[in-house]
Amino acid sequence: MSRRKNLRPVAQLTIPTWIFLALVVLIPFFYGVYISFLNINLASFLPPSFVGFDNYQNVLAASETWSTLRITLIITFIGLLTQIPIGVLLALVLHENLRGTRIFRSILITPMLLTPVAVGLTYRFMFDTDLGVINWALGNIGLEKINWLGSQTSAFFAIIIVDSWQSIPFVMLLVLAALTAISPSLYEAARVDGASTSQILRRITLPLITPTLLVITMIKIMDFLKLFDTLFILTRGGPGNATTTLGLWTYKTGFVFLELSRAAALGVIITIITLPVYFLWRRASRGVR
Amino acid sequence: MILKRGLSYTLLFVASFLSLFPLFWTISTSIKDRVDTYSLPPKFFSFAPTLKNYTSLFSLEKFWQIYSNSIIVTLGSTLICLVIGILAAYALARKPRFRGRTSLEGLMIAVRALPAIVLLLPIYKLSSYLGLYDSKLGLILIFAGFNIPFAIWLLMSFIEQIPVEIEESARVDGASTLKMFTRIILPLAAPGLVATGIFVSLLSWNEFLIPVIMAGENAKTLPVLVASFISNRTLDWGPMAAAATVALIPIVLLTVVIQRWLVAGLSSGAVKE
Repeated sequence: MSRRKNLRPVAQLTIPTWIFLALVVLIPFFYGVYISFLNINLASFLPPSFVGFDNYQNVLAASETWSTLRITLIITFIGLLTQIPIGVLLALVLHENLRGTRIFRSILITPMLLTPVAVGLTYRFMFDTDLGVINWALGNIGLEKINWLGSQTSAFFAIIIVDSWQSIPFVMLLVLAALTAISPSLYEAARVDGASTSQILRRITLPLITPTLLVITMIKIMDFLKLFDTLFILTRGGPGNATTTLGLWTYKTGFVFLELSRAAALGVIITIITLPVYFLWRRASRGVR
Repeated sequence: MILKRGLSYTLLFVASFLSLFPLFWTISTSIKDRVDTYSLPPKFFSFAPTLKNYTSLFSLEKFWQIYSNSIIVTLGSTLICLVIGILAAYALARKPRFRGRTSLEGLMIAVRALPAIVLLLPIYKLSSYLGLYDSKLGLILIFAGFNIPFAIWLLMSFIEQIPVEIEESARVDGASTLKMFTRIILPLAAPGLVATGIFVSLLSWNEFLIPVIMAGENAKTLPVLVASFISNRTLDWGPMAAAATVALIPIVLLTVVIQRWLVAGLSSGAVKE
């Protein structure tokens, strides 16, 4: 049997996958670009016409585009600063392999598996100003009631809390995998040389998990750009547009204001924003293992 | 040791408490009477459990239709992901180089990277031409498309664990590619298929953005129903918690079963193996 005969069927095995990915990614993407040059409004019965770059001009001139982009960046920034340190800390503690670690790991993973919509609903109940268990607990330690979802700053925190609750396990798992990959002989050698725990952490552990932290950062940036379910349940982007991210704004433009073409232009802009992160991720993930 | 042992345990216990409390709170709210739900201080254990919230949830018009929609769409898309995913995963795991490999991997990462809303706007428009709007078939196909990359990444890691030597010796014995695939790869990858199936069905079960855009009254799924409680002005937390519990319980049960493979699944795609 010749070599070639063995190789050809292998590429064919990917054809069904190609078809599905073409259906949900390739075709929609190019069709989306096409739509962004028309003037489709879902409420209008007029046949769409070609408008060139009008949608892009409108979108780039609209203050909402920039304010929702700013909100996305703020949430991303605070979110990263919250989730990565806590995730690393938990991974370090799990990595000590204390008795019961496996059970703790199973418990700590649970939040990331749960239906985000249901989680959002539960938190919304817990954040309730008068009846919520969170304000009750705060009251017990002598703090004022917070109208969590009523103002921009506190709503930011509420969103970060819920997203962190669901996302920290992901950070923790990836860091844990990176920690497990570090050879124990490195630690032993350092200890023989008389290195202190904090020296080992700073000189060995942190540098060796940095590539993983970079990958996590890229993935998390993309996930914050995608953030939808919890936002939708907790605040719907409100009060007003105070917690509307660029992704949610695209949804609102397309399916609340029914400006499909303008939303498609926003989609293209989001894609362009995602591109550098996408390439950095591909590069960074090659460095891991 | 980074922290003192006592401090480590304190941290683990606090984190575990915070991880489980919302789940506990949802379930306990779902079996509370109205009066107990709204009582202050909150009642954690001292209340008489009731199934009232569930009866009112189950008597909702269309509840069972929505529930069966969720199950059908989840099973259908998972099945597609497994059948198609195992083929592609085999190719990607076994052959380092073939035509279109790099573009295929690029597309798979694009699904993970791009916000789904970007793709769903055009998909929404296209599907109304194809008559797939508000249909279970439409949802099954779209869910499958979005979840296939995860299935492939996960299945690849299982296939890579099967020694190549087994296949080589089968080939020497004259087995065809098809025979080798059905007789050797499939049985050996069976645990991987189960784990991947459960993981992918979790993704479908939890999915909200796709059905909220692509489903009207007929194909509505459970997360859309759960979310719809919010838009009612009269917030009634009991039935809401019951709906959330109905969505969450299957997940909790399944994850107990797949504990072993969970870690690989949850980090799939993030790290190149």
